[in-house]
Amino acid sequence: MPVGRVDPAVYASPVTTDPLTPRDALRHTDGLFRLALRLTGSDADAEDLVQETFARALGAGSQFAAGTNLRAWLFRILRNAYIDSYRRKRSNPVHPYPNDDSDPSDAAASTREPLRGDHELERMRAMVGDDIETALATLSIDARTVILLDVEGLTESELAEVLGCSVGTIKSRLSRARAALRERLRDYSR
Amino acid sequence: MDCNDARSYLLAYNRGTLDAPLRLALESHLAGCPGCRHEQLADRELSTLLERLSPRQAPASLKRALHGRWERPVAGTRSSSVVRTVAAMAMGAAMAIVPVLVWRARVPDAAMVAEAVNDHLRVLYAQRPLEVESGGIHQVKPWFEGKLDFAPLTAFAGDDDFPLQGGLVGYFVDRKAAILVFRRRLHVITLFVFPSAGLRWPTVGNQTIGTARGSLETSRGFHVLLWRGADLGYALVSDTNEADLLTLGAKVVGPS
Repeated sequence: MPVGRVDPAVYASPVTTDPLTPRDALRHTDGLFRLALRLTGSDADAEDLVQETFARALGAGSQFAAGTNLRAWLFRILRNAYIDSYRRKRSNPVHPYPNDDSDPSDAAASTREPLRGDHELERMRAMVGDDIETALATLSIDARTVILLDVEGLTESELAEVLGCSVGTIKSRLSRARAALRERLRDYSR
Repeated sequence: MDCNDARSYLLAYNRGTLDAPLRLALESHLAGCPGCRHEQLADRELSTLLERLSPRQAPASLKRALHGRWERPVAGTRSSSVVRTVAAMAMGAAMAIVPVLVWRARVPDAAMVAEAVNDHLRVLYAQRPLEVESGGIHQVKPWFEGKLDFAPLTAFAGDDDFPLQGGLVGYFVDRKAAILVFRRRLHVITLFVFPSAGLRWPTVGNQTIGTARGSLETSRGFHVLLWRGADLGYALVSDTNEADLLTLGAKVVGPS
């Protein structure tokens, strides 16, 4: 298994050729909760977001076509629900971060020269889970989403479905997001 | 291979998914380029760090709530088996036409009931459900002005039995709605007021609600009371008992 990714075997088959059933959808609760938790930063808000996701996915009027990738579809609904709540809270035109990864600080991070020598590696090796949670929280919504869903084991085509872009764009977004995360970790450890 | 190319392949290389010719070319580049070698090691270290993220699972209470709410088939989702479809068709063929027409005259569209429950749940689970806190109906009703293209008519201002908590603007099915939130002891009761046109309403209804006729349905443990007045539709949704909902409904309808 690739380093840093969830074993895909923990999931049921993400692609279903059958009509949507609640049982199939609810198998993804843990993964949805993990992303919700790291987007919202609180257990209570994460639970609300997961509830909202299933209300949208399983409620009347949901648009699920047989053959759709269920896992990607659910994560896309969760991301959109989070962005909707984010807009409501701000009560003004949406922050640019949710729909693209053009957060200037993210982009700048990908072009900055890394630390030379082993200092960066030594610092990273000394870090714990809380350090990376803190650094992740400073990234834009899409940068966080692409990193976390990559860790969850989503494929590039699934990530493209979640974020609504091409597979080629996903490659560059993931690369920039990881570079931005390294930059934040470096700042955080100083 | 130059440094830009090399760095674009590092993630795939560290994951072991790079095909052989590219892997060999990259390894040749890494052997002679300390900068890219550092990037490769740092990227691998980042993956290791990401493994240290807590593998949190959803709380058991959340899973119980979700399974309790959704495990039974709900309106709006598709039937999951051919057998169920065939059985439904057979049942439909067996039903006489007249009882069907009577039933449809008394019972609202199942999707409408299911959506009323969904909308009620959204109010319950919203972090800040009320956009205007109640200081009485005279404070709440003017707050809707300019936010809706209809006036949400109700004569009821809340009382000791059903105190008005506040209001917000939301949606009912596919349209904007005024949402008034009442309480009955520990139960939240949501009143949706919305334009009634274009929805499949029962022509008779199975309940008397004050001076109006409407329908009382139960879905997923919630009671839903639906009725029409003038051009507006009304939906009361709660897990309180049916008698409470009918009592509040009669108060919302008001005297003739």
